[in-house]
Amino acid sequence: MSRTIEADFCIVGAGAGGAVAAAELAEGGASVVVLEQGEHHDPDNFTARPPEMLARLYRDGGQTTTLGSPPILLPLGRGLGGTTLVNSGTCFRTPAHVLKRWAVEFGLELDEQAMSACFWRVEQSLSVSEVTPELAGANAAVMRRGAQQLGWSHGYLRRNARGCVGSGVCVFGCPTSAKQHTGITYIPRAVRAGAQIVTDADVRELLRDGARVRGAVARLGDGSRLEVRASEVVLACGAIHTPLLLARNRIGSSSGQLGRNLSLHPATAAFALMDEEVNMAHGVPQSFYVDEFAADGLMLETVAGPPAYAAMSLPLRGDRHTQAMACYSRLAQLGLMVSDSSRGSVHALGERPVIRYSLDAADLARVRIGLERIEQLLRAAGAREVYLPLPPGVAAHAARARDLRLMAFHPLGTARADARPAHGVVDGRLAVHGLRGLRIADGSVVPSSLGVNPQLTIMALATRLAFQLLERPVPCEASIQAENVELSTTTSTTTT
Amino acid sequence: MSDGLDRFLAASPQPQRSGLRLLIMLARRPRGAMLLKCLPLAEEAAGATLALGRYDDPAIATRLGWDAEAVVARGRRLRRTEGRP
Repeated sequence: MSRTIEADFCIVGAGAGGAVAAAELAEGGASVVVLEQGEHHDPDNFTARPPEMLARLYRDGGQTTTLGSPPILLPLGRGLGGTTLVNSGTCFRTPAHVLKRWAVEFGLELDEQAMSACFWRVEQSLSVSEVTPELAGANAAVMRRGAQQLGWSHGYLRRNARGCVGSGVCVFGCPTSAKQHTGITYIPRAVRAGAQIVTDADVRELLRDGARVRGAVARLGDGSRLEVRASEVVLACGAIHTPLLLARNRIGSSSGQLGRNLSLHPATAAFALMDEEVNMAHGVPQSFYVDEFAADGLMLETVAGPPAYAAMSLPLRGDRHTQAMACYSRLAQLGLMVSDSSRGSVHALGERPVIRYSLDAADLARVRIGLERIEQLLRAAGAREVYLPLPPGVAAHAARARDLRLMAFHPLGTARADARPAHGVVDGRLAVHGLRGLRIADGSVVPSSLGVNPQLTIMALATRLAFQLLERPVPCEASIQAENVELSTTTSTTTT
Repeated sequence: MSDGLDRFLAASPQPQRSGLRLLIMLARRPRGAMLLKCLPLAEEAAGATLALGRYDDPAIATRLGWDAEAVVARGRRLRRTEGRP
């Protein structure tokens, strides 16, 4: 069976980029169809139990892995909300020095001022605010104490959450719907504005007419074929799957950059056994950061989770593992994220992405130093024992790439933006070079490592893109306030 | 094997899925466990996966101060009473 829908915009993917673009475009009066490969996840089915939720909410059960030295686990969300459904909710604006670098190196005119209205709009939509010390919990208190002892710059993180009670399972499906992921914020807005959301829609084919993309074709869960004909297609499948879809359709490869330039923010974490009760899963898991070494590419952020999560990540074996887990309530955990200079690639092997990425010498040095800093902080906080994610007998300073146990959550750059067609897949307006009717709004366009969690950057870029497509300026704080004043003046005049 | 762990393994892509199942089978047998000691990475993967399943057991998790059912029940209550999505 086959059917065809016509729309102004067809958006492929309902994560950080796609959901934002869909809502803004639909509210701007455009007809929008969103094709999402995953499903809508009902929070009534969230169990707060890691193995089950990993299987349900993540692509490949959260076990997507890179090939290289060392292999890196790269969990990706799947469903309405994409990875925003399963991330920790941390919100950082793109650092100013990164925007400057993009202007110089990639010719992108995205200065702080130009982006501030987009950031503000996203932050309002997602109720972004700083975690309170009470909600941050004892794990954050441990890290704060360590940072204060050492005089290191630190703070509570800003998150997209409303009415959070610190359930401790942000990455396994928020049971209170406090985390304002795009599946419960932007997608409902898009629907209210008339957008059609089609889940279980696997897009393999883009419709082309010479140098113009005219739509997309999806295979639905029931086996039927859905063709969406649109004036513009916006791809937002993420940095792993967008380049594969482009490559499958022989689009975007003329620069030689498609599928290349993959950065990941390699991450790892250490545990500490404290004298005090920590109960790490009571509170917001990612609530506190140390940015003392941000200029060196190191960001420390708290991480935490229920016993099953801790047991899986605790870098101990046998009796030592059992003994440490018996003291779970006194375990604290701190993560390290590296702003990487290493670059990887993604290509398809049959139906599967093959992700290649090896740590370069500079990043290896960053991870080593980061682990030393974590140990220093945990000791300063009063840790009785510190468990670094290294094999027995290997010191942080001597760790080889193959000794490291890394994860990554922020794939970026595989269809990077560059004003010059020979150097990037999309231009500064996120249009694929040399084609009309095709834009990209996900992490794949981000041309360099950010050094901070990327969801706000991706959402702000999608906001900017949506208003460019609507040919309107992004409403800024001042214009909204002026509108409100005008409205209240009109109301009071009417009342009078 | 718990239902949750079984689903976790079933969601794993091939060939990881078959590899993990084999490692877990080995780790549960004395001679297999001895063999894995010579393969640290494989032993680690099997150990981490088994630990994920073991500590997901409500009886064990509750003893450690984590009650998933209570967390979920509070979530449902808040969503109902406050009209959250």
